Amino acid sequence: MVIVIMGDEAKNSSTATEDVSQLNQDELIMAQQRQIEKEISETIPLVGDLENILLLEHEYSNDDVYQEKVKNLAKKYKSIRRTRPDGNCFFRAFSFAYIERLLDKKEDFDAFYKKTAKSKDDLVELGFQQFTVEDFYDTYLDVLKRVGDIAEVEGAKTELHSLFNDQGYSDYMVVYLRLLTSGQLQKEKDFYSCFIEGHTTVEDFCHQEVEPMYKESDHIHIIAACAALGTGVRVVYMDRGTGKAVTEHDLPEGCVPSVHLLYRPGHYDILYPI
Amino acid sequence: MAGSALRRLMAEYKQLTLNPPEGIIAGPINEENFFEWEALITGPEGTCFEGGVFPAKLIFPPDYPLSPPKMQFTCEMFHPNIYSDGRVCISILHAPGDDPMGYESSAERWSPVQSVEKILLSVVSMLAEPNDESGANVDAAKMWRENRDEFNRIAERIVRRTLGIPT
Repeated sequence: MVIVIMGDEAKNSSTATEDVSQLNQDELIMAQQRQIEKEISETIPLVGDLENILLLEHEYSNDDVYQEKVKNLAKKYKSIRRTRPDGNCFFRAFSFAYIERLLDKKEDFDAFYKKTAKSKDDLVELGFQQFTVEDFYDTYLDVLKRVGDIAEVEGAKTELHSLFNDQGYSDYMVVYLRLLTSGQLQKEKDFYSCFIEGHTTVEDFCHQEVEPMYKESDHIHIIAACAALGTGVRVVYMDRGTGKAVTEHDLPEGCVPSVHLLYRPGHYDILYPI
Repeated sequence: MAGSALRRLMAEYKQLTLNPPEGIIAGPINEENFFEWEALITGPEGTCFEGGVFPAKLIFPPDYPLSPPKMQFTCEMFHPNIYSDGRVCISILHAPGDDPMGYESSAERWSPVQSVEKILLSVVSMLAEPNDESGANVDAAKMWRENRDEFNRIAERIVRRTLGIPT
């Protein structure tokens, strides 16, 4: 990929040319961004297979701090499932891991299906236009129904994994969880506004940081997503910080987490406890 | 994915036909292809574009509405936020982080719950109130700031042309 840097010659030329160069440069930058995204897509699945946790050691073969932390992690977790680092990783990992977990318990799954079935009306009541949420809602329910209809649990999990690796289904699942999260933030905006920096309103925050695809998630997204689905998550932080152990945070505080996620700066993967 | 995009575009077309926003008509150029639309936008009242009827085309990507469409006027235009080739450059047509013009952080951005209607309404506001901070057409932005009378004269000439009145 070549990046064109405008030289003095271009700057001195007529303004009509300047418009065109400007346009070409924007296009080039965006094309390069798309190319990078494509390269990432081609190498990492949206939701990977289960891998032994100790395989993580290979990633850090020259790094004692991380090696020690992986050993520590292996005392509590047996496997990891990687997700594609495309800015949607929290939403994709959380959605997948929670539904996968629910498949183990029929009553919980059915209760979640019923709760989700009612969620579109709540969003419309909050001011979302029906035709903009409908397709995402339909897809989310369709996926739940397809995996819920499979009687045998392992078969249902395999189907879930394959649907989450179908870009069309997977991205629509991500969007719907983003919308539910946005809905939760707006429904309890007095509470959440305290966590938003600067003068941004909760609505603007949702439009800019929650609803658009590929926007990364922070604490506030996680807390609201948990509240929206009615569950809790344990985030295990692993970075170069001192200390041999990894740090654990339960969100919301004091919950019994149904999903465990590994956070390494900028990215979430799914963890499976022993 | 294209199947979902098609379903959504059909729903939006129906919505726009049943409840058209004032001064805007939009729909597929040819019902065989829902990914290319034409829009007619009337210039907002009380502005230098008042009375004009401006044709534009919208091109939707296969993963619409995850990604935004592109919009381009097909008539002559002279406006700070429209490139000389007619392409519209406003924040709602870009996802956050996709920042060719360094939009303000509070500016409205593309997300899957935006719509064609919201884009067209933003374009009407853009015609009424150009944003000369993020100039796609530098000449137009400069003239808008420094020589409003000349800008208005050019706009009036463009309005007459869109109506087929000799200028």
